[in-house]
Amino acid sequence: MCHVSVGHTARVFEERGIATTCVFIDAFSHYARQMKLPRVLVTPFPMGRPLGAPGDQVTQRSVVTAALRLVDDATGPETVSDFDGVYRPSYGAPT
Amino acid sequence: MDGESLEDFKDSFSYGERSNLNFKFLRRLTQADAAEVVRRVLEEAGHLLDHGDPGPLLDLVIAAQRDAYRHPPLQERYHYPDSPFTTPTRPVAEATVALLTSSGHFVDGEDPRPFGVEDMTQEEAERRIDDFLRAEPDLSTVPVSTPPKTTRVRHGGYDIGGAVLDRNVAFPIDHLRELSDDGVIGDLHPDAYSFVGAAAQGRILRHAAPAWADMLIEHGVDVVLLVPV
Repeated sequence: MCHVSVGHTARVFEERGIATTCVFIDAFSHYARQMKLPRVLVTPFPMGRPLGAPGDQVTQRSVVTAALRLVDDATGPETVSDFDGVYRPSYGAPT
Repeated sequence: MDGESLEDFKDSFSYGERSNLNFKFLRRLTQADAAEVVRRVLEEAGHLLDHGDPGPLLDLVIAAQRDAYRHPPLQERYHYPDSPFTTPTRPVAEATVALLTSSGHFVDGEDPRPFGVEDMTQEEAERRIDDFLRAEPDLSTVPVSTPPKTTRVRHGGYDIGGAVLDRNVAFPIDHLRELSDDGVIGDLHPDAYSFVGAAAQGRILRHAAPAWADMLIEHGVDVVLLVPV
């Protein structure tokens, strides 16, 4: 349901002139297409960890960068891009 | 549990007596498919004992989640005839960017107190998931300078274990700060925002999201990174 909530939020923001970019996990990427969202990065990660595994800062940062890049690169609505990554926790000491 | 059926067993992971939000998807599966997922998870756990590589088990769980959720009933209540799209007026490197997630993060001491409950536990949030689904979401403000130790998370719709260990798995304010420092982002809006995405869709569409948009426009935000869980 979270993905639908965010999808509705994205549609409202776009209608009001705010550009959005979303990070969806693959399990719910069909919602992005069904809701005709403007820019969506799809990650191959589990529920609750859409940016990547705990402690995997390299992957998390890459996801954020790729999602923001869609704002510059998308030339029209319903732009969906797949992020190619692997889910491997590497959590060390709490920060 | 003598005589428990396979149907009851698989359903018990979805807000039942074995509630486990990582595996609540088992309820969506047929008995045969659920049994096969459990068999394969146990098989990979056995391999882990000898080989020590958690990769195959992680990949299996992620694939099982994906396959279970990929074909849900379509949302018959909502239709999307158009594709709203705002053409950015400036590149991200010159834009004001904000973060908004549905992960349920908030600042310690500023609990949104859902339904008036003080210090609601994660367990109570899971028990009251149906109440959340009928309510308008509250938007929590989290300054991007908030240290991890004073960031809290509660959400009855997903397993928050990863987000408790590392907020950036669903609420990437540390990465956005770095990208701002590196010039990838023009300006990072000083506040990030989060709500519990298990909420009433009609209220989001008609009231909450328009109000959030007005607030962001007033603050000069050009671009919003949205992260559902």
